[in-house]
Amino acid sequence: MKTKAQGNSALSFILLIAGIVLLVAALAMDVMGTKFAGRGAMLIFGIIAFFAGLYLIPTMKHHRKIVYFIFLFPLLFTFAVTVIIPLVLGIGYSFTDWTGVKITKFVGLANYMSMFKDPAFIYSILITFVFVIINMVLINVIGFCLALLCTSSIKASGFFRAAYFLPNLIGGIVLGYIWQFVFNNVLIGMTNHISLLSQSKTALLCIVVVYLWQYGGYIMLIYITGLTQVPGDVLEAANIDGATPMQTLFQIKIPMIASTITICTFLTLTSAFKQFDVNMALTNGAGSVPNFMGAYLSNGTQMLALNIYNTAIAKNSYAVGQAKAVLFFIILAVVSLIQVRISNSKEVEL
Amino acid sequence: MKRKLLAIALVGAMTLSLAACGGSGSSGAGTDDSTAGAAASSGGGSSDANALRLVNGKIEVDAQLKALAKAYEEVSGVHVEIESMGGGVDIQGQLKQYYQGNNMPDIFVNGGATDFANWEGLLADMSGEKWVEDTEAEYVDGEGKVVGFPYTTEAIGLAYNADILEKAGIDPASITGPDSMKAAFETLDSKKDELGLTAVIGYCAEATNLYWSTGNHMFGIYEDEGLARDDTKYFDMLADGGKIDEERFEKYAEMIALFNQYSDPPLLVSGTYDQQILNFASGKYAFVTQGSWIGATMTADDKEQYEAAGNFKVGMLPYAFEEGQDTILTNSPSWWAVFDGEKADAAKAFLQWCSEDAGQKILVEDAGFISPFASCTYVADDPFAQTITDYTQAGKTSGWHWLNNKEGLAQNALGVVYQDYAAGNIPDAATFTKTVSQVTAQYYGS
Repeated sequence: MKTKAQGNSALSFILLIAGIVLLVAALAMDVMGTKFAGRGAMLIFGIIAFFAGLYLIPTMKHHRKIVYFIFLFPLLFTFAVTVIIPLVLGIGYSFTDWTGVKITKFVGLANYMSMFKDPAFIYSILITFVFVIINMVLINVIGFCLALLCTSSIKASGFFRAAYFLPNLIGGIVLGYIWQFVFNNVLIGMTNHISLLSQSKTALLCIVVVYLWQYGGYIMLIYITGLTQVPGDVLEAANIDGATPMQTLFQIKIPMIASTITICTFLTLTSAFKQFDVNMALTNGAGSVPNFMGAYLSNGTQMLALNIYNTAIAKNSYAVGQAKAVLFFIILAVVSLIQVRISNSKEVEL
Repeated sequence: MKRKLLAIALVGAMTLSLAACGGSGSSGAGTDDSTAGAAASSGGGSSDANALRLVNGKIEVDAQLKALAKAYEEVSGVHVEIESMGGGVDIQGQLKQYYQGNNMPDIFVNGGATDFANWEGLLADMSGEKWVEDTEAEYVDGEGKVVGFPYTTEAIGLAYNADILEKAGIDPASITGPDSMKAAFETLDSKKDELGLTAVIGYCAEATNLYWSTGNHMFGIYEDEGLARDDTKYFDMLADGGKIDEERFEKYAEMIALFNQYSDPPLLVSGTYDQQILNFASGKYAFVTQGSWIGATMTADDKEQYEAAGNFKVGMLPYAFEEGQDTILTNSPSWWAVFDGEKADAAKAFLQWCSEDAGQKILVEDAGFISPFASCTYVADDPFAQTITDYTQAGKTSGWHWLNNKEGLAQNALGVVYQDYAAGNIPDAATFTKTVSQVTAQYYGS
């Protein structure tokens, strides 16, 4: 028995070392640009040997933990490669003068400083917040009203549900171009040959309308689910007690679907923050603001996400775009954290 | 024991599958098909190790370039894969992705100083190539190295419908300055019905999709009109913190005001490029504010309407916002650069062949390019070819310096100002001048 354990430990040791050596050699070859075709195989065998060695480590105490780790590893690895590493790299890039091709030097906080001195960016943040608030209210109110309609006993409510939900199935870019045509070619006759999209204020309204049209049906569907889950006996009891429909709505239905309202509020909140495709297809951010912080702005309808994209792509300053993206990430992270907090406290109440 | 063996086997299988994913990523040489497929019209990653890959920025000549590649393959045995991008694809962004993915094409398109600056130190030096002697349009970088191969010439001028001007009794040669231009516009406007015109001029200042027309080309007129080819006076002012010569610009702004006034109202602030060209090709506008590239659209996409309008003759006038300005702006709109990799020599050989007789025949006669090479004897079958040749031979051309404007100036700053001016939010030429000057200073300052 003892010899077997020793054999195991020797084997484990050899496998671990061999695995690491193969791994490092394969990676080193890739970094140095060798075209040796066997390096992929080396990498694979290195990893297998390493894990085999890890599994065979002669310890009773930690054996289970090692097995857990081995099973978790594929997920952790994928998560790291697709989420953690890009995040860290992205934050790193925001401190350099990265051009998308190469980095020549570290610039410290210069990207962050320049971004807060840029009136266009501050304007983008402001209109994004305004847009988010307006949308959050409008979409929820309209979605809820539609849901009430579709759960009432009107005829063909199934048809209406499908019809209101349909716009959500069309991609944002396509939707943007469709509505661009509507505003520029159809409605133009009513607006005296000045397209609604050519003035910043009306163009912003247009984006709100299109977004509402796209997203209202989706939120409606969630409210419908909430409303149909309100227990029938409660409603019946209210009816017998002589509650008016208004009382039923405000005293019974709305309190019963409070958690649905929270979910919908935050769904609309985060998705409105990340608004990009409709914005890009409909106006691409164009619009004039004659005097904002002493500057003439050309990005009258540019939301935050589009501003980041344009900074990186159209202005070719990837590093500043990256810095803006980091700020965007922080804003969204804060919003999501608040969301989690509030929904948790709601669950306790119920 | 059996269970243990099974567990080991499972772990082995999992690590193997995981490593296989990692393995193909790190082997590097594999073509990144997902990104290639998204932008490429050609697709089909060739496995031929000697094949060249060319990223073309003019999607309208995709088929012709493929014919060119085929002709070259017959001569040399080297396969050239054409990957065309266009119609709103951000080519430089895509190229950066290719670079990150270790999948650089051997020849790719670059549009000016900012594009070339992206690839500083990564492009092959072509100074020693034979074709350099044969042209003046090659792209030379800051260190004096030739890094860009010119493949066509384009011109920016006030394009006109010669038949309509003739019917209206206006001699194009008589339009030499703002007064004669205004007089011609007024005459045309008064005879609109009789000539079948919708509007005198097709000028579009829509800022979402057509910012490049106003922000680059129309603004480029201010930078270069009437100057010698190498005169960069106004460009230098702009590069120095976005300064504008207000006296010159105000005269230019008066011309834009004239265009605003006589343009087709539905087109002016909310039109599209397709509408603009289609209406010009159908003879509904006497003038259009687009350059020579529209010839290809008129004879292909809008062929029917152009034929119905009698395949009228076209020509170009100088944008004479000051009396005596008599040049149109011609230049190579973009260049092909060679990536300094293993296949740089093969790529150079291909470009040399393109500049010679067999290559030029296809590029000029089939693709409709106007050759930048002196030894080329072919004439493109393009409505604007003759007028460009005439101006070039008379020495009445200016260069394009807007290609070197700060990146994104048109899209992020100028396009909207032109739209504002067209929509009437900016009341007059003086305010327009002040606004443009403020906007450029802001943009260059940030």
